Amino acid sequence: MSQTMPTATQRRLRTYAFWAVPVLLLLLPLATNPYTQFIANGMLISVLVTLGFTLTIGNLGQLAFANTAFFGIGAYASAILAAKLGVPWLLTIPLAGAFGALGGFLASAAALRGIRTYYLAIITLAFGELMRWAYLHAKPVTGGTDGMPMPREALFGISLGDDSLKFYIFLGVTVLLVKATLNLMRSRFGRAVMAVRENEIATASLAIPTARVILVTFMWSGFVVGCAGALFARHVGHVFPESFGMLHLIASFAMVLVGGLGSVLGAVLGAVLLTALPEYLRAFPGMEELFFGLIVAGVLVAMPMGLASLLRRLSPVFVERFYREAP
Amino acid sequence: MGSGPNQKRQQAALGTDIQQENNMKRVATLLATLAVAAVPAFAQDAEWETEGLSDDAITIGVMGPFSGNASSYSKALVGMMAYYDKINEEGGVHGRKLVAVQEDTACDSAKGLAAAKKLISQDKVFMLQGNSCSGVAVALRPTIEDAGLPWIVAHAVSDSISDPLAKNIFHGVPTGRANGRAMAAFVLSKPDTGNVAIIEHSNDWAHSYSNPAREYLEENGVTPSLELIMERGQTDATAQVLKLRQEKPDFIIAALYEAETAIFLRDLKKYGMGDVPVMGTAGTDLENTLKRTGDFDTVKNYYVIHSYVDNLDGPLMKPWGDMIHKYNPDEELSTFSFVSIGSAEALVAALEAVGPDLTRSKLMAALEEVRDFDTGILSDPITWTPEDHQGVKGSAVAGFVDGEPTVLKAWGQPY
Repeated sequence: MSQTMPTATQRRLRTYAFWAVPVLLLLLPLATNPYTQFIANGMLISVLVTLGFTLTIGNLGQLAFANTAFFGIGAYASAILAAKLGVPWLLTIPLAGAFGALGGFLASAAALRGIRTYYLAIITLAFGELMRWAYLHAKPVTGGTDGMPMPREALFGISLGDDSLKFYIFLGVTVLLVKATLNLMRSRFGRAVMAVRENEIATASLAIPTARVILVTFMWSGFVVGCAGALFARHVGHVFPESFGMLHLIASFAMVLVGGLGSVLGAVLGAVLLTALPEYLRAFPGMEELFFGLIVAGVLVAMPMGLASLLRRLSPVFVERFYREAP
Repeated sequence: MGSGPNQKRQQAALGTDIQQENNMKRVATLLATLAVAAVPAFAQDAEWETEGLSDDAITIGVMGPFSGNASSYSKALVGMMAYYDKINEEGGVHGRKLVAVQEDTACDSAKGLAAAKKLISQDKVFMLQGNSCSGVAVALRPTIEDAGLPWIVAHAVSDSISDPLAKNIFHGVPTGRANGRAMAAFVLSKPDTGNVAIIEHSNDWAHSYSNPAREYLEENGVTPSLELIMERGQTDATAQVLKLRQEKPDFIIAALYEAETAIFLRDLKKYGMGDVPVMGTAGTDLENTLKRTGDFDTVKNYYVIHSYVDNLDGPLMKPWGDMIHKYNPDEELSTFSFVSIGSAEALVAALEAVGPDLTRSKLMAALEEVRDFDTGILSDPITWTPEDHQGVKGSAVAGFVDGEPTVLKAWGQPY
């Protein structure tokens, strides 16, 4: 599908819009109650999880499903560092990201050995299940089935159990990582990522180190999702192995597809919509799963390229530089 | 005063400084406003005391896994809500109907927290009752403890939901510890039992039964003579049974899932140990185990934790089954269907005791006065004190007596 690229004015408008959204969101806690604030916080976490996922599956074009493993690694790293070693939770966020990146490094090993498509999918799925086995059985470290509670902490005299305070921290981390990812994807490295997706052999013939591109993309994806894991640990206050199973992976995959595969804007839209939707569907007890499935299927039938494609059609402002829809 | 370019620059600089200072003040004011707005006000004032209460209704938040792969546990809340319907049909409590506001946890901690926050801050229910899925309930504890409204746990069994004591959290079913100790108490009630072996899975579920059982045995001077592991998914227990045959235990405590229990019992019989009694957990059902083995001789000495006064189809349970069917005609009754009724009865008794001038604090005080409350359905009474909110301290046992499933208080003593 041909896309009209934005003009210089439209690009400026896009930059203003990028910063206007988080600035306006600073006022959100004035309009929420603890429940709606909790949901908003969950949306920010989902944005990061979806962003990390779309990088490997959408931008890099690797059928890799280690996303939930990175998420669990980040959450457990944060909980263990905070609960067992007394590291302040804020400091655990980049550390959890580093552990997530390490997970990305391990997951990329299969891709670097030339394993692709369904084979890569099954290996990365197995990696996720292996991690879940580890959470369950490494009881002295992870708490086993009892999980790992986050210690109570305060920041500036306000408890970190407070959802509004958490929102500001989550928002800061999310904006930082979304902006960093956008910059990365607009850079020469981002073009190399797209090139690998389109044709890895042709990319290598241009002296682009494709192995390094794959490795770094997996590691950045792991870092972003690992940070999201640290936010999740504080969000729920208690990390359990069940939170990192197949259901979470399917939900994240649905967010990627509904938003638009490989689109940063799509990651945000998909995460926000599919985090909010189940809460709206609480009004239909017993029918939530049915309605959720129908709505997701409906969006994908009407907009196979996701919600981001709708916005791109509305205005070139929403066209992401170097983004190309998957064939 | 001169008005040279330097002075203009100084004035301009001064103006910029003042503007920056004003901007800083504005930002500081905004941040302060945001910070104040961020602090939730859980002031337990008079309004808070009667939140969710009207002249004709008491709203009760009922959380459970109504969707997802653990949704079968939501059956545990059916009996409780049928009991609310029964009370409402009889006129309510001091003229107030019990209005259940259901929220789905999907047995997921994040979704469970959202449900709790919705019930507390948006629906503003008077109290909470329910909850299957111990993991979710454990994750909910800090939020509900901070919110301060009464919460009666009606199904989840993890001890850490209600221990250490929280002023507003009451456990209305036997906890894992109570069940484990009840298993050991039954084992020791068999005369001349001094040699007890334990076989279990290597997971926390099994430990939640075996650890308190071991603790009870040791308190009574019995150290398990043999402790064996049988992993989940094992299809043969020959190695374990041969070790047991050498040790010749008087009783075996088996913290195994139902499938592995059937395999273990089959192999016990195969190696000539079918006469050694085996004590199982609440995670197995006597008749289901018989169906799995297909051989009565394998289960004739098998006993399981059973929290009720009678068999599910027994005469003492029939009125409760009829009550559930009256309000839910299509409900297929199972062990879960009855589990939450006892705590609903205790709640209604406490509400009656408070009188028409109900507040949250008065209800919690009344709950702490519940002593030896015979529910007529749970095998053990409910007692809540200011020091201990784990209300049910024991459980009956079910086993085959003369070929019929029978509820037992102790060895050889029908309930």
